[in-house]
Amino acid sequence: MTDTPSALSLTAIRKTFAGLTAVDDLYLAVEPGALVSLLGPSGCGKTTTLRMVAGFERPDSGSIWIGGEDVTRQAPNNRGLGMVFQSYSLFPHRTVAENVAFGLRMGGASRQAQAEGVARMLDMVHLRGREDMYPAQLSGGQQQRVALARALVVNPRVLLLDEPLGALDKGLRESMQFEIREMQQRLEITTLLVTHDQEEAMSMSDQIAVMQGGRILQLGAPNDIYDRPKSAFVATFLGTSNLFTGTVAPDGQHLDSPAGRLPLPESLPAGRRATLSVRPERIVLGGAAAGLPQQLTGRITASSFRGSHAAYRVVLDASGADLTVYRQADAGLGQVGLALGDPLSLGWRIEDSVIVTAPEGEE
Amino acid sequence: MSKAAPLSDRSRRALLLAPALIFLAVFFVMPLLDNSARSFLTEEGGLTFARYTAFLTDRFYLGVIAETVILSAAVTVISVLIAYPVAYVLVRKAGRLSGLIIFLLIAPLLTSIIMRTFGWQVLFARRGLVNQWLVTDLGLLDAPLRLLNTPGLAIAALVHVLVPFAVLSIASVLQGIDRRLEEGALMLGASRFRTFWEVTLPLTMDGIGTGAILVFMIANGSFVTLVLLGGGFQTLPLLIYQQFNTTRDFALASTMSTILLVIALACLWLQLRLVRRQGV
Repeated sequence: MTDTPSALSLTAIRKTFAGLTAVDDLYLAVEPGALVSLLGPSGCGKTTTLRMVAGFERPDSGSIWIGGEDVTRQAPNNRGLGMVFQSYSLFPHRTVAENVAFGLRMGGASRQAQAEGVARMLDMVHLRGREDMYPAQLSGGQQQRVALARALVVNPRVLLLDEPLGALDKGLRESMQFEIREMQQRLEITTLLVTHDQEEAMSMSDQIAVMQGGRILQLGAPNDIYDRPKSAFVATFLGTSNLFTGTVAPDGQHLDSPAGRLPLPESLPAGRRATLSVRPERIVLGGAAAGLPQQLTGRITASSFRGSHAAYRVVLDASGADLTVYRQADAGLGQVGLALGDPLSLGWRIEDSVIVTAPEGEE
Repeated sequence: MSKAAPLSDRSRRALLLAPALIFLAVFFVMPLLDNSARSFLTEEGGLTFARYTAFLTDRFYLGVIAETVILSAAVTVISVLIAYPVAYVLVRKAGRLSGLIIFLLIAPLLTSIIMRTFGWQVLFARRGLVNQWLVTDLGLLDAPLRLLNTPGLAIAALVHVLVPFAVLSIASVLQGIDRRLEEGALMLGASRFRTFWEVTLPLTMDGIGTGAILVFMIANGSFVTLVLLGGGFQTLPLLIYQQFNTTRDFALASTMSTILLVIALACLWLQLRLVRRQGV
């Protein structure tokens, strides 16, 4: 596309519904051509935020800018956006071609231009030859592609994706993730994606904004957020995490937790409450843990094979807490020291643990 | 005592339906058949179509059929035009008030149509409330208006009775429309009016169709309103009444009833077709 991509920015957005705060003082800047995900559980304010960008809701305060233009008070049909809904929202009384041409027709394009636009977009989403079918005659994945074509044909300034893959089954979802991402990067279209699916957010986004309670808790690249979560909420919402909460030891270098004295990756003021987060795949089990500083012991109480890896549930001898541990499949279940019930030692490299703010109610 | 053998699903269903079916057969189907049969029989009991040929080639009677259909069509168009905005507000804008609106719509249906029509007479009679306001209280007019027995008032009264049917038919379809479809149209640059015209209205055509056919059917057979409020209309039901009560030509009355029944059945068939298409 010839136009340079537009930036999207939200400043100090606030929205309440009947006294309940849905979005609370939210700031977000999306670079031109980037895909940013709003990720969070239901009720975190991500959908409200998207609907405010779309223009379906008006923020109580704050402003929304697209490509250097304040659109806060603009009607949705004047914002020049494209949107794909979870339910596809194709017009059931119109054919595939009429659905895709709709935006062009509303923009006053000639019949010729409409036909060209439809052909170009249906080529891109591999649906040529289905022009005259009705949405109900297409599979879920095909409907989703038509919805994408319909949103993109008008060359929108920003593409809004509202749980776009939520209604598809797992296999199709993964291939559509790749397809949408590839298309988005090729067209260099600024995109805001709303999802509650962390895998979807991680595989598609340039940046992820993890939301909770109407605020963005953490914004960053997927690997950055995954490896360095700032809060227990982010650590557990994005992937799985083992949390150790305790008091910082007098030396400032260790955490005294029920599980034992654990080394901290950076020093903290002595006596302060702190929480350490360790990813399941970073925990080393059995003989390999011998040289690690934690010197924890426990027993495997359950294991499950998950194809690419195996998951173990380990109960710590010291605290009785459950840990989740992943091992690559090639490490093998039959490896010495990994039988169910046997005592084993475990630990992790200090740099594989992260200090996070405590989970709610434990501060 | 031996236990009765369990009934099959099929016979149980038949047993449950039997009372209603027997009731309908005795008090609805048989009189209708008897009535229709009368129109096909000669005095001596032979089969004849002479009454139909006579009726359907008579300019006066054809005029009556046309008047019946045109009056019903006018009532239908006006009712749908009034009902659509009401249904729209009811579904989209009323919020907590929707319960009240539905009550106001249904409440008149619970009172006898005769009572409601007499109400119109009280309001619009020569010395009725409306004329009293206009002449005595407000002094806007010198002489009372002649409102009763005008076509406009009769049509208004029919619309008043039938609008709820149209509202409820349209509202139920409007309720089922996914708002995201309209939002999708807005996102693609359609104005609110274009969105309504391109998306909402086409998707509510089924409700409009169902409501229109319902209103048309009831208007076609309406009798009490036209008898009490007049309007100079000569419709099929009025003519049938005359034939039964005044002229006492039962055979002609049966002929006309059968024709009215055929029109009603045609409407019913249209409605079923609409509903079936909707169900796909």
